[in-house]
Amino acid sequence: MRTQSWGYVPLEALPSGAKAKVVIVMAPGSWSQRLLQMGFVPGAIVEVLYNNRPGPIIVRVMNTTISLGRGIARRIFVEPIVEGETS
Amino acid sequence: MSNNEKGKKIIVAVVGQPNVGKSTLFNILTRKHVIVANWPGVTVEKHEGWRDYKGYRIHFVDLPGIYGFSASTLEEIIARNYILSGEPDVLLVLVDSTMPERTMYLALEALEIFPKTIIVFTKSDLTHTYGIHINYRALSRILNVPVVAVSAATKTGINELLETIIKVFEGKIGRKAPLKLNYGALEPFVRDAEELIKLSKLSRQYPSRWLAVRALQGDKEILDKMKELGEKELVEKIMKIRSEIENIFKRSVEEVFAQIRFSKLAELMERVVVRAPIKSREVYVGIDRLFSHPIIGPIVSLSILLMIFAIIFTLNTGFPLNIIFYSIGYGELAEFIEEHSLGGLLEEFFEWLGGVARELLHGFPNWFVNLVVDGIIGGVGAVLVFLPLIFLVALLLALLEDSGLAPRIAMSLHSLLQRIGFSGHAIFPVMLGLGCNVPAIMASRSSPNFRERLRLIMTLAFIPCQARLVVVLGIASALSGIKGLILVVASYITAFIIFAFIGKLLYEYDRKRGYVDEPELLLEIPPLHRPLGKVVWWLTWNTVRHFIIKAGTIIFLVTMISWVMLNYSAELKPVSSISDSLGASIAKVFSPLLYPMGFTGETAWKIAYALMIGFLAKEAIIGALAILTGAESSAAAIRMLGLSEAQIVSLTMFSMLYVPCLATMAVICLESRSVKIMLTTVLIMMVIAYIASILAYVFSLIFLGS
Repeated sequence: MRTQSWGYVPLEALPSGAKAKVVIVMAPGSWSQRLLQMGFVPGAIVEVLYNNRPGPIIVRVMNTTISLGRGIARRIFVEPIVEGETS
Repeated sequence: MSNNEKGKKIIVAVVGQPNVGKSTLFNILTRKHVIVANWPGVTVEKHEGWRDYKGYRIHFVDLPGIYGFSASTLEEIIARNYILSGEPDVLLVLVDSTMPERTMYLALEALEIFPKTIIVFTKSDLTHTYGIHINYRALSRILNVPVVAVSAATKTGINELLETIIKVFEGKIGRKAPLKLNYGALEPFVRDAEELIKLSKLSRQYPSRWLAVRALQGDKEILDKMKELGEKELVEKIMKIRSEIENIFKRSVEEVFAQIRFSKLAELMERVVVRAPIKSREVYVGIDRLFSHPIIGPIVSLSILLMIFAIIFTLNTGFPLNIIFYSIGYGELAEFIEEHSLGGLLEEFFEWLGGVARELLHGFPNWFVNLVVDGIIGGVGAVLVFLPLIFLVALLLALLEDSGLAPRIAMSLHSLLQRIGFSGHAIFPVMLGLGCNVPAIMASRSSPNFRERLRLIMTLAFIPCQARLVVVLGIASALSGIKGLILVVASYITAFIIFAFIGKLLYEYDRKRGYVDEPELLLEIPPLHRPLGKVVWWLTWNTVRHFIIKAGTIIFLVTMISWVMLNYSAELKPVSSISDSLGASIAKVFSPLLYPMGFTGETAWKIAYALMIGFLAKEAIIGALAILTGAESSAAAIRMLGLSEAQIVSLTMFSMLYVPCLATMAVICLESRSVKIMLTTVLIMMVIAYIASILAYVFSLIFLGS
């Protein structure tokens, strides 16, 4: 696996309203297959709709809304997109 | 494919991701002609239906909702194997017009497997609201696949779809060979793997390129099949290519493939989809905000669920309204509610039916009349009394599911459930369990984690089903006024606490053995919408069907056996007194176990017998007590047995908690695929029920007196 550069943060750490680009999914076997199918592939843009601790985090990816447990969201590493910057 | 044998029959498989509107379309396509069965060997529902069109009988087979064909879940394997079986002539892949970017993924995968495919865009009437424009003709041209846009709401596109099915079947349009997706950077590896796969016997049956792509992704089904065919060497060579990819790309092969597929998809979508920016894509954003709130969310969800069950309980048995009215002195009103509850009305109907049958059978031998009236009508009637209740539970849960509220409730209760080692996925099995444990255990499949599912299977039987509610109500009705209500509520609370406790215990055990991290949630939240009558009916019928089958077979048999056991001796001679019967002699063996609860002599074996019968079907406990004492009502039966208040409490607790019924045990065995797990569950339940009922007896003695 690629060494983790410091620009990457777990999806779980993003606040409500933030947007980010998926970098790598490190979830265990059966979860990662489903995540990939649901559109969490490297390069995909995710938008955090709600992130209220300690509940699940709700994101939008590929125009679908998905609710993720925090443990899973912690294993999806993303690169935050700063407002105004293009991709 | 042997089209001649089939005559003018076209077999059409229907596949789609969850929430794309597959059930709705399937219902419209097949109108009322739907058959429900199980896929061979597994308890996954299989729906089939047909429609006659232009001289053809088009036979639709609905495949389970899946996200892809990776074979990582049972549903994916079922869908894939069916498509590859050679049985279907045409395949429909459903794509959600409101979210084509994600839902097309399955269509691409399907096209790699099966050439005679039609891409069907559902919910096409909604594209305007969402500001989406899809160029269906361009998509059809690029992929060389027929594309049809349909809407279940406005019924547009249905005839066009039927026409297209016939044209594809006749070979006039559509692909002749599977789609060859260009895998870009992976292309050389795919080609190498394909060369190897062509040597495998499997490639005579299935598209070789698809096999290569799947094998490279470590597809267990395919690799195992190759090993079975004695192609171990080929497998090893393919695995070598696989690790080469991993070395070069520094990530899992599955991820590289998914990424390439999605990027191809994005390219494709860019050419055919235009999204106009609109202000609010989702009308119900406020509602999601509510459900995602850490405090308000669970409160809203729990209120919805409590309300549903309050309505159902009252409609069905009059409980808890009747007991409340009794206790405040409105006995007549309480009786009125009880008699006019659905259960009460049905009970009256079966009493009437029994009377009619007795008159009609006048002249037949006495034993035969008794068997029909007491045995069959009485026994099956006692069970069918639950039908409206099961139906209501199923109906209201189906409404939650089809409106899109269900996943929101699961999401908001996730944190609470995590505390007892379950995820939000567990909430619907639990709710179903309040109706009947059998569909509940089957619904545990909604949990994507295998260990969590096993824990659910082992604990769901603690959720008090409606059969147990009736037994508990019957026994508790022997207590006067508010005491009865308190006992029923207390037994429910006890059952839930034990469910939570055992769930947590199993979770901790799993964790010690290193099986789990956290119970996790991964759930799509579809847009909220008004539920569609037909889909709701379909979902409801699914649940109710299991119950009717159970009532029609198992409970019918149990009633017959019970009747014979009470009317014949061990030598199969008719007996004059029940205490000489075969049933009584078996029950007497077990009766000493009931001494700690203060049951002795005649009472002990009668109770033991009723509980034995309850093992076959819980609801039969009440009937058995009535037959044993010859009493008209369960309250009268308890009075005739001369039980003390403490004994009533103890018996209630035991009935609530002890072994799951036979049907539940069978389903536990089927779903866990392990006799050991089934037996462990029974053991856990017996031990806990026994301890709890002794404790209940002792505490009641202290607080209520004997």
